[in-house]
Amino acid sequence: MTVLILTSHQDVTTDMVVAELHERGVPLVRLDPADLPGEAGLSAEYVSGDFHCYLSADGRMVSSKSLRSIWVRRPGEPAAHAPEPSRWLSAETGQALYGALCSTTARWMNHPRQADQARLKPWQLRFAHRSGFAVPPTVITTFPRVAEQFAGQYGKVVVKSLSGPPRGEPAIALPTALVEPGTDFAGVAGGPTLLQRYVPKRADIRLTCVGGRMFAARKVSASGQVDGRYGDTGQVWEPAVVPDRIARAVHDYTGLAGLAYAAFDFAEDAEAVWWFLECNQGGQFGFVELETGQPIAEAVASWLAQEPRGPA
Amino acid sequence: MRPFIWNYAQHNEGPDAPVPYAYNSAAQLNLLPDGRPAISDRELLLALSTTTSTAGSQTHFDD
Ligand SMILES: Nc1ncnc2c1ncn2[C@@H]1O[C@H](COP(=O)(O)OP(=O)(O)O)[C@@H](O)[C@H]1O
Ligand SMILES: [Mg+2]
Repeated sequence: MTVLILTSHQDVTTDMVVAELHERGVPLVRLDPADLPGEAGLSAEYVSGDFHCYLSADGRMVSSKSLRSIWVRRPGEPAAHAPEPSRWLSAETGQALYGALCSTTARWMNHPRQADQARLKPWQLRFAHRSGFAVPPTVITTFPRVAEQFAGQYGKVVVKSLSGPPRGEPAIALPTALVEPGTDFAGVAGGPTLLQRYVPKRADIRLTCVGGRMFAARKVSASGQVDGRYGDTGQVWEPAVVPDRIARAVHDYTGLAGLAYAAFDFAEDAEAVWWFLECNQGGQFGFVELETGQPIAEAVASWLAQEPRGPA
Repeated sequence: MRPFIWNYAQHNEGPDAPVPYAYNSAAQLNLLPDGRPAISDRELLLALSTTTSTAGSQTHFDD
């Protein structure tokens, strides 16, 4: 039984998991949807109710019947490397690939349906609250008046994007930023804007959950620092103990969301409360493992290597 | 109209530095010029920050 990994070639975080699978002798196929059609190929057949699909990548073949699991890590846009790429060709290729893979019995980390839902930040906040996390007051609005009132009510608020920075050139970053008093909110009418009460934090927390196994890492914040990812403060990520209350909420959230893998961001305040900021369904873990030594790649490999349940 | 959040955008410095490893399809891993896996060089990976949560953000919204 084979593990299928959908990711780009450059992704060295995948390498950490590939090495673990090699060590266990688990067969795997690493395929970038961007290489389909081309370096990668696909064939799916429906004949009198029977479904069979083959995928090939770099000369390796895998049949849908022998897929044990699928890891959606950092897949390229389908057909992005085609000689004449287009939005249409990407849509056609995506339908063929993900449509065929969704028709298999393989276990997913994470299933595309759950992944799509889990990426929606407003959905995250609602389900985080339901799961028992502390969630900072948040508004998403296109009304400048509403934004101004929210900022007035909570004093210190941050602005952050819903979907991340724009992709493409030139490269632009959208770090979470503090909104200064007296700011003009007219631009809120130009795009849905997410404002959130600033959490006066003493540390950032990154918690990675792999099939129920939890790895928390903590990085002390510099005074006045807003986005923990930017600016070298001399602090490093260190392993942290997961409080029981958080473990229960992570368990409930990943259950409700149907996520085999999830990376949570929290802000820890002076009372040691972990405020839920977001949950990245495909969040990066390479930096955490490299800095803390926590065996996250091993956990991912173990999950992927499990044999699927037999036919029902 | 310019969206509000654009007032807080930052330009990333220059293109990414070229990486000293290349994908090897037989191993399904990235290898250094001497044939060792790229991941065997922890210091290199930390220095390149290809594994951090801001590195991927340009190409991916899952970080
Ligand atoms: N309400 C907040 N209070 C304090 N810091 C915050 C807040 N929201 C975000 N941050 C900081 O900004 C970083 C990025 O924000 P996050 O909510 O994780 O969004 P994204 O990673 O999608 O940009 C967080 O890891 C944290 O360091
Ligand atoms: Mg984040």
